[in-house]
Amino acid sequence: MRSTRPLAAIAFIASIVITACGGTGTPTPVGTAAAGSTITVMSLWGGSEQASFQKVLDAFKAKSGVIANYESIRDNYSTILQTRISGGNPPDVAIIPGIGFLRQFARQGSLKKVADLGIDVNALKANYPPGILEIGQVDGTQYAIMVKFNSKSTMWFRPDKFKTLGVSTPSDFAGFTKLLADIKAKGTTPMGLGAADSWTLTDWFENIYAKQAGPEKYDKLFSGTLPWTDASVATAVDTMKSAIKDEYVAGGITAALGRSFTDGIGQAFAANGTAVIYYEGGFVGGIATGQTNTALKVGESIDWFDFPAVGSGKTVTIGGDVIAAFSNKPGVKEFIAYMTSADSGSVWAGTGAVISPVKAVPASAYPNDLAKREAAQVASASAVRFDGSDLLPSGGGDNLGAALQNAIQGKTVDWAAFETAMAAKWKAEK
Amino acid sequence: MGVAPQGLELTRDYRSLSGGRTAARRARGPESPRWGTTILFLGPAGLLLFVFLVYPAIYTVLLSFNRGRNGIFEQWVGLDNYARLFSDPDFINLSTFPPSGALWNNVLWIVFYVSIVIFLGLIIAVVAARVRYESVVKAIVFIPMSIAATALAVIWKFVYSPDANIGLINAILGAVGVAPVSWLGDQGIVNFALIAVGIWGSVGFATIILSAAVKSIPAEVIESARVEGANERQIFFRMILPMVSLPMSVLAVTLVVNVIKLFDLIYVMTHGGPGKSSQVIAFTMFQQAFEAGQYGYGSAVAVVMLVLLIPILIFNVRRFRTSSVT
Amino acid sequence: MSVLAGGVVQGRITPAGRIVGALNRTVIHVSLSLIALIWLVPTLGLLVTSFRPRSDIQATGWWDIFNLHLTIDNYRQVLEAQGMFQAFANTVFITVPSTLLPLGICALAAYAFSWMRFPFRDTLFLIVVGLLMVPVQVAFIPVLTGMRDLVPGLELTRGYGAVWLAHTAFALPFGIFLLRNFFITLPPDMIEAARIDGASDPWIFRKIVVPVSVPAIAAYGIFQFLWVWNDLLMALIFVQDASKYPMTRAIQNLLSQYGTEWHLLAAGAFLLMIVPLIVFFSLQRYFVQGLLAGSIK
Repeated sequence: MRSTRPLAAIAFIASIVITACGGTGTPTPVGTAAAGSTITVMSLWGGSEQASFQKVLDAFKAKSGVIANYESIRDNYSTILQTRISGGNPPDVAIIPGIGFLRQFARQGSLKKVADLGIDVNALKANYPPGILEIGQVDGTQYAIMVKFNSKSTMWFRPDKFKTLGVSTPSDFAGFTKLLADIKAKGTTPMGLGAADSWTLTDWFENIYAKQAGPEKYDKLFSGTLPWTDASVATAVDTMKSAIKDEYVAGGITAALGRSFTDGIGQAFAANGTAVIYYEGGFVGGIATGQTNTALKVGESIDWFDFPAVGSGKTVTIGGDVIAAFSNKPGVKEFIAYMTSADSGSVWAGTGAVISPVKAVPASAYPNDLAKREAAQVASASAVRFDGSDLLPSGGGDNLGAALQNAIQGKTVDWAAFETAMAAKWKAEK
Repeated sequence: MGVAPQGLELTRDYRSLSGGRTAARRARGPESPRWGTTILFLGPAGLLLFVFLVYPAIYTVLLSFNRGRNGIFEQWVGLDNYARLFSDPDFINLSTFPPSGALWNNVLWIVFYVSIVIFLGLIIAVVAARVRYESVVKAIVFIPMSIAATALAVIWKFVYSPDANIGLINAILGAVGVAPVSWLGDQGIVNFALIAVGIWGSVGFATIILSAAVKSIPAEVIESARVEGANERQIFFRMILPMVSLPMSVLAVTLVVNVIKLFDLIYVMTHGGPGKSSQVIAFTMFQQAFEAGQYGYGSAVAVVMLVLLIPILIFNVRRFRTSSVT
Repeated sequence: MSVLAGGVVQGRITPAGRIVGALNRTVIHVSLSLIALIWLVPTLGLLVTSFRPRSDIQATGWWDIFNLHLTIDNYRQVLEAQGMFQAFANTVFITVPSTLLPLGICALAAYAFSWMRFPFRDTLFLIVVGLLMVPVQVAFIPVLTGMRDLVPGLELTRGYGAVWLAHTAFALPFGIFLLRNFFITLPPDMIEAARIDGASDPWIFRKIVVPVSVPAIAAYGIFQFLWVWNDLLMALIFVQDASKYPMTRAIQNLLSQYGTEWHLLAAGAFLLMIVPLIVFFSLQRYFVQGLLAGSIK
């Protein structure tokens, strides 16, 4: 089963291509029979991301009469969800980051099958490009549905400062490292980095690996069929280290290891930020302009370019969340159905925070150039791959992050030991 | 730092030595038991202990031989969970030098935390006894004992911050021209940084205990030794040290128990990171059970904790029994 | 340990000895001051930071006393916007019953183990002594899933019920042990006399044992109070409604939610510390006496 699932994740991808181009899926009818009921929806967004999602919940209430209360769990998401399941007190609906968690909750029998909620899975197929629904399947059964994603191949930068420095955006990785060297030579330390959140490093690695080793190897590596001792892994790490160097990271790598992801954004985009480049997914835009520094102007003081191609590889990586139900209380079915509709997709996309996988969400739904281009980037990519660390079994992403934290400090990583540990995790999960 | 309640366990050992004997002699009720009254007095405690501790402990031991997904007996796996645990490099990895893993981190804690806490506690107790502001010094080092590990973690996240505008240590290092150190971000340093916080939190406890022990030594005994020509070094090593060795050993046992149960500080300060480099067994148990949902595996970790504490358990029970029988 | 030689208690007094003594006394004062400094400064830093405006915290260290502007905005923000006021109340709701319940139950059981006669008394008490060393971790999984599977109707984890019961139960071995060890030191004649007068055990417990044991019970109560007040682990597992989270969890959330919003963290952490500190400073004698209760005599 573990060989089939990631393949599904991959198939989806070819598919997303059409997503942003719009389409004419049948909007799922939204029932109002449950009007007046209240459900709880749990996810991990706070701050501006939470505000965006609240707009979706408000629209749902207006449409169905069901009140969906949002509970934010910013950190230790799986702990809170797992203890609440064990205590007999799960939320009605959760939006789950990471397919590893989805497998965990589904296999222990905590999730309701989508079909058991009374939603016709076959009918949903028309709403999505082929392959999307498979992301939410565990062992062939539909437990969840992907509701949003972001590109993770966006390199954020300060156009204003690029202009002052007299540098321009690069097209490939060699050009990127040259850019870093140029900026450094002009007396500015180019990059912000918040590597205490080690997933930022796994995102770097996945981008480079998918581009350098190619999507096929990527699929095998993150499904447990290609060992981590494969030479392609070490090569990708070396490539990564040619950009994440002590002299290119504002404050140095040691300090970066103690800095959170949001503080890393601040290094480039806060009012007193000194760096000019920060790499992370499409959601950086919302956090930077919404929380870090509201004075930022899109296109002038914040923008992004494609994560540079490595050689000829241009595979785009994305991260996304799936929605799943823990109960079949009145209102749950309606909410899940609503979340598969173009209505919800358009409202959410309209906040600029996410890209919707629903076909019928038109490009015009995206409020600004940043989001529109993000959707288009994914849509026009030659290949798209799902965030690999989110595909690994529970705890696997942390292990990879730790290995990469070691690597950027110049320590050698024992990939053989890493492979042994990872293989045990895949085995334990079954 | 949460050591406090266990700190009281210390008292138990002394009490059982002195009080146990009297217990057997004195504690007599009416000749025949009155069942109604007995149940009234013991019922609530007995019921709670059975439902919340005895029965669950048996359940957990059994669950550790099961896959236990969702906390239910689901599929017997024999010793698989234990085999997996001891081959998991995140739990114990002896193939590298220095070794690593959660269990190894507990060993680091036991070696450094326990010894340094006792050492500093004894020094402060002895030295402070020589000044008039003794109680002030003792109160100051004791303050962290009353503070939650969560607050302690926040205090020290400040002190350790790599940002020289926040982190005091790195600011001082910066002032003398040393590059900032990522105390909590470096896998080689993080355990020692955490142990230092643990020490800071527990020295007050050791000081109070040992100070009382030192003071219980009659002044005349020391004075007469002096008169007989013993120097201060001899007095310390030949008289004070042997006389506080019992409270010291009991203190050591209490601190070892603290280490095995250590959780809050790690959870808040590093969440076991960077990577998994600062995990300890109580954290691993929590994470495997309540994060990864692997209850059988998590139960196995809990059983390992229990096994580690059994020698202390037997020690206590035996000591108590011998002292109350005589 | 040569510092000892400079002590207040001096053996021989010669001029040279006096100089050495003064010198050593200086060493003592300096090292003690250093220790006091190391133990005070981190907490002091947090306190100062909690009163500094956010922009100042980002710009300069708290030790930059020439640039000190103080504000209570951080507290206002953390109490209102971050819900710390609610969390404070939740901590009180969790702590009070979780202190009083075990106090009562332990006193009853400790009395039985001290002054009542029933079969297997000593064996049962040895079991309690043994349970002292059983890590609570071995109970978490069955207790939590038991609340789900055996008594789902009570919805214990949605309210405070689960955490009250868990704290109470896990506190028992130690509480019984401590109080029993105090009770057995009471003069037996006092109790025997009451018995001869026909007093029942409940009467003796209420009218004799409890009143004379107030210091021991209070000492134990303070410890249990602080233990629960400061607890994070049990709250993580047994308090599952976000609106009922105690301060320890709220601060943990602050930490992860905002990266490092030091101004909020500092204020939040100080709110968590304030009650234990008040208890410590006002009841210091009890507090320390409790710690040493009968230990070293």
